[in-house]
Amino acid sequence: MPTVSSQDVLALAPVAILALGGIALLLSEVFLTSGKRGYQAFLTVLFAATAGLTAFGATPGKVFAGQATADAFSAFVTITVSFGLALAALVSASWLDARGAERGEFYALSLFAASGMSLLGMASDLLVAFVAIEIMSLSTYALAAWMRRGKKPAEAAFKYFILGAFSSALLLYGTSLVFGATGSTLLSDVARGPLQAGGSALLSAGLVLVAAGLAFKVAAVPFHVWTPDVYEGAPTPVTAFMAAGVKTAAFAILARTVLAAYAATGGAADSAFPRVLAVLALLTMLVGNLFAVPQRSVKRMLAYSSIAHAGYLLLGVLAAGLPAVRERALSGVLFYLASYTASAIGAFAVVGALESNGQPGDEPADAWDLERLAGLSRRRPLLAFAMTVFMLSLAGVPPTAGFVAKLLVFQAAVGAQYLALAVVGVLTSALGAYYYLRVVVYMYMRPAAEGEPAGVTSPVLSVALAVAVAAVVVLGIGSEPVASLARAAAAVVR
Amino acid sequence: MADRAELWIFLLFAIPLVIAAAGVVAARNPVNAAMSLVAAFFFLAGIYVLLVAHLVAFLQILVYAGAIMVVFLFVIMLLQLHDQDMQDAKLKAMQWGGIIGASGVLTVVALAIQQAGEIHWKAVPESFGTVKAVGMLLFTQYLLPFEATSLLLLVAIVGAVVVAKQRI
Amino acid sequence: MTISANWYLLLAAVLFCFGLVGVVSRRNILVVFMCVELMLNAANLTFLTFARQQGTMNGHAIAFFVIAVAAAEAAVGLAIVIAVFRTRGTLWMDEVSTLKN
Repeated sequence: MPTVSSQDVLALAPVAILALGGIALLLSEVFLTSGKRGYQAFLTVLFAATAGLTAFGATPGKVFAGQATADAFSAFVTITVSFGLALAALVSASWLDARGAERGEFYALSLFAASGMSLLGMASDLLVAFVAIEIMSLSTYALAAWMRRGKKPAEAAFKYFILGAFSSALLLYGTSLVFGATGSTLLSDVARGPLQAGGSALLSAGLVLVAAGLAFKVAAVPFHVWTPDVYEGAPTPVTAFMAAGVKTAAFAILARTVLAAYAATGGAADSAFPRVLAVLALLTMLVGNLFAVPQRSVKRMLAYSSIAHAGYLLLGVLAAGLPAVRERALSGVLFYLASYTASAIGAFAVVGALESNGQPGDEPADAWDLERLAGLSRRRPLLAFAMTVFMLSLAGVPPTAGFVAKLLVFQAAVGAQYLALAVVGVLTSALGAYYYLRVVVYMYMRPAAEGEPAGVTSPVLSVALAVAVAAVVVLGIGSEPVASLARAAAAVVR
Repeated sequence: MADRAELWIFLLFAIPLVIAAAGVVAARNPVNAAMSLVAAFFFLAGIYVLLVAHLVAFLQILVYAGAIMVVFLFVIMLLQLHDQDMQDAKLKAMQWGGIIGASGVLTVVALAIQQAGEIHWKAVPESFGTVKAVGMLLFTQYLLPFEATSLLLLVAIVGAVVVAKQRI
Repeated sequence: MTISANWYLLLAAVLFCFGLVGVVSRRNILVVFMCVELMLNAANLTFLTFARQQGTMNGHAIAFFVIAVAAAEAAVGLAIVIAVFRTRGTLWMDEVSTLKN
């Protein structure tokens, strides 16, 4: 009979710290005596930092009979998620405070979501992955519905919920077929292939359904339709956290699942699975970038850009199928996730700072229009500079983090002989530069409209933006420490 | 005669189950859909008993048909919904799309099941599917998902309160 | 003659596809949600069938978790339904949508 050892419990420490942090934040609301809630964001940052540090020092190994794996990979995911959580908490603090909607429950739900994400990074069993996805998703559904006074958050939450529940059902039914074919839900058993020769079709059908369910979570085309509406409708700091955290965690489990699927279906070359994934990556890169071009709303543009980035990440996961370049490709994906976390949260933070300060959800249709950024360089030079850095990083211009990330992923794709896809990736990135740089042009070369408000900033937001800018620049110039961490993380995943 | 008993019992539950499931999809009124779903859950519990899953069959009725569906009906009553016509060209297109997509999935899965050949049963021990046996499994091999589920339920409570609260 | 597992698996596949049709074609949020529940039950039936077929009880434990997850999902989902109804006064998807290109 399997028993629980202290190693099992210790390996889960980051997940437990984040969950306990959530409970602490819930209780803080009970014992609150004054209306001041400024400390709540700092508590959240503290818990995130502790969880990240704990993940650093975890002893590697499989725990709970192989259902979870504590290794450099899961540590990298936890650290990235915790970094994103800390940034998002600081951004939320100023955004919510300006609207009188700061509550302990908000941070508690963010912490619960992060603990689900961290567990997802460790999961090496489809059932654990399912439960972890649900922890992450239920928290983000509730966060998306925060401030329901307006119509948009409720609608965003509802769309997110219906499609999220649907994708979970796909994932679960796929898991049940995989369970039937292999007799287990452990990814290590799935990788061994079907129990009987006749079960291979059952296994393939199951794996395709699992992949489809996960494709919803990473917003890959054609499972992306919810993304623009949900990203636009949700409160901006929540969108920032969703874009960065959910993507990181979902790609972590997707990478582990795809590698198991490759092994189960007998190598990368001769099965249909890589081809399906290649089509998915191609469509996602194309659709994400093409639909981002005509968007006037910066928030919606960033939503489509998030789809486009999912395409580049899928390309990296696809390349990881070839054992020779696996380490390079996976480390590229991990580095990409870290760089996207910093850039996307930063960009959404600036968008949030410029939003009108009235009733959220009842803003005019042009609440996030490009015009609101016009002349920002004169009104708020530092904010404009930060936004420029984030846009350059998202576009993949050196010397920012986004450039190194794209370079790593495309190199891996070329190494895995996906030349055509890599070319499409470079070309769509060039297209992406157009709509990212348009934002910069508006900020620096267009005069501001009369009576345009300066937007809200607070010391907390400034700190968050400074950290994000620093992360983007440091990851771009001195990428080696993080890149070597990512390589170490990628090396342990088989 | 006795050999055929399982087939008859299977059909006794399966046919009403399929009809009830069709009722959920086709019902015009949400209340009818919910009642069909309750019926479907009951027949499904019967099938579970055939599969020697007594505990899950019990939970199916207690939690699913009992608790979850009562909440559904409660919300329907609370919101005072009334049925509406669905005679919309775009809707028709979506319905056909759904039917075609679903029949595609059904074909693929059915072919996969077919290819797996006649899948026969293994002998099961006396204690199969009992509370004790499943409980042992839950607290040993499935301890991690069990604990994760406890966190999930906490998240659900907080989330539901936050979302349904009047004002934030 | 005991019937083979294929019958049960096919029944589950049929249930899953009914749910799929419902999710895509129904416009009432509550009914769509019920169809998702139908899909989860199809997955449960498949788990239990394979558990019986392989003679292991792992499928039973998994079905237990699925029921718990469904309950959690229902709690948050119905809260969101109530929130949508409060702001819109309707549960019809097309009338709910204002977010467009």
